[in-house]
Amino acid sequence: MSRKLYIFAIGGTGSRVLKALTMLFASGVKIGSDFETVIPIIIDPDTSNGDLNRTKDILRLYQEIRNQVDQPDDFYTQEIKTINEITVNTPVVNPDYFQFKLKDTDTNTFNQYIGFDSLSEDIAEKDDKNFVRLLYSAQNLRSNLDVGFKGNPNMGSIILNQFTNSEDFKRFGQTFDDDDAIFIVNSIFGGTGAAGFPLLLKNFRGNKNIPRHAKIKEAPIGGITYLPYFSLSKNDEINAESFEEKAKIAIDYYNRTIISLNQINMLYFIGNRGNTNQEEYAVGGQEQKNKAHFLELAGALAVLDFCKNINSITRTTQIKEFGIEHDAQNLTFTDLNIENAKQLSAPLTKFKLYTEYLGKGLSGSLNISRWTKSNIKLTPGNKQSLLDKNYFNSAEYKTQIRSFNSYFDEWIKEMKDNRPGFSPFEEITADNALEIVKGQTPKGNKSFKAVDIQNCLLTDNISIRNKEKKHTMLIKIFGRSTDKVLSNRNLLIR
Amino acid sequence: MNEFFGTIYDTLFGIFNNLYFLIFQHLYDNGGYIKLGLSFILIPLVCWLLFYYLWKYPYGKIWHWLIWMTVTVFIVFCATYGIANTEILGSDNQALNEAIADASTGYGDYAATLPLKYAMANSLLALIIGFIYSLIMKQFSKIQLHLPF
Repeated sequence: MSRKLYIFAIGGTGSRVLKALTMLFASGVKIGSDFETVIPIIIDPDTSNGDLNRTKDILRLYQEIRNQVDQPDDFYTQEIKTINEITVNTPVVNPDYFQFKLKDTDTNTFNQYIGFDSLSEDIAEKDDKNFVRLLYSAQNLRSNLDVGFKGNPNMGSIILNQFTNSEDFKRFGQTFDDDDAIFIVNSIFGGTGAAGFPLLLKNFRGNKNIPRHAKIKEAPIGGITYLPYFSLSKNDEINAESFEEKAKIAIDYYNRTIISLNQINMLYFIGNRGNTNQEEYAVGGQEQKNKAHFLELAGALAVLDFCKNINSITRTTQIKEFGIEHDAQNLTFTDLNIENAKQLSAPLTKFKLYTEYLGKGLSGSLNISRWTKSNIKLTPGNKQSLLDKNYFNSAEYKTQIRSFNSYFDEWIKEMKDNRPGFSPFEEITADNALEIVKGQTPKGNKSFKAVDIQNCLLTDNISIRNKEKKHTMLIKIFGRSTDKVLSNRNLLIR
Repeated sequence: MNEFFGTIYDTLFGIFNNLYFLIFQHLYDNGGYIKLGLSFILIPLVCWLLFYYLWKYPYGKIWHWLIWMTVTVFIVFCATYGIANTEILGSDNQALNEAIADASTGYGDYAATLPLKYAMANSLLALIIGFIYSLIMKQFSKIQLHLPF
């Protein structure tokens, strides 16, 4: 059995960090330390949440594309699976299995969920109702649970408690093996994440009812906790002005119950105090679709850091923070510390060039350039391209590759438009494609021509060809050609 | 080789004329046929090597190939014309020069038509051999594999 990393992504922030991590995996980043499989588990009662569903769709596309690549060795190298795929050993991609289900949260209000109406209100006898009113406001009790906890961890801690008794959680335990590890992503200033993180940890370290409890109890666990890094366009049921205060209180609680008791091996804190990034107000549901933020990408780097250092972790909780070299409103690779720049520059630039090529360069070479032709006369089949007009018109290309690339471009654009922005790339056209990296102007021809040349040179290469798995050639040829083109022009930080 | 190329021009293209034997004898004795023959073999060879292995242009279309063929044929035409002109009209063969200089022999007028005839013959040969080169070289080309078709 291969070594697995279970990533519990809690709430909207968890979903967005998972999205950033998936984008890195698509770009060719691998988690290393012999981890073969990443198992993302999203915990969010808000099933219609825009961020959640976008992430699930991205994960579905990632899997569908990867399943159609024979032995990926650059883009899409990292294997991602659902617990269901491991337990029933099925290749069927179903993104619903990325999310652990919470019972009775779809139609109930909070007071219905806790059975508030059936409690006694007799002051003389057992005054449970008024006791509950001490803990929860009238608004809390009236809240529908299908949009999450609206920034109220006191509600989340009740609802999420059921989760550890669920079938999903049992299956997690059944698949947990020696050497497997756990990583938890949450935000401290919201509702779901702030409540879910301590609950999960408590169960990992102490719930004897989970299958393979002994292994899970001793497993390496890392986590990233987000401090406030955005505000909201208005204050209503969720009040952004309370984010910082809530964060302080929660940190104090974490300090007493998690850090001091060494419940976690590595805990990353990340945030942006005094941020000017404002998201559209939404309590949840489809409308909650926050713009991607650089800090979510930094969170994905925390997952990589945890895996990299997993063999040297101690029982005492290590606290880590994320920092950048140069404080700027628009960050580029050179503003990051050199290790992070090295981690991100090559994969992201390569993948960006690949998506830009398919968007802006393909029309210039389709059925013209040798690497897109499969009907060359007097030429054996092993020299004909598998990436012909039929491939680029196929449903698989349009619904999988193009959709994923569009998510990637959207993600890059959102990070650019956010504050602080992360914009390492220039807007390019087909004629100046190689001016893609901000601040770098390579010599010579700057069009996509160099990519097409490399693709032509690689077309015969047997290691990138596979007729059964449709995306093999596309993914492998661009992994190699973009690397060669960008490396030759010294556009990558390595 | 002299024999081989001589046969191509003399027999295949019927350029040989016994009335002007001195010219053909001179070409034969001085390796003129070899020079003419190599020009339709080597010039297209070099041109098509450049096209298939050195020209790194991934958007090549059939009209690129046609232009290249035209250029190749034109180079062969010019080179052949020059070689034939030098070999026949610029030779140091005293007997031939005297015959050409003597207008009554008709050598001068006939000799003047030969460079064009050889150039035309070599152009046709360059076209044929260029096409054959294309079919062979494209098999090993990474970028222009799809040309001419």
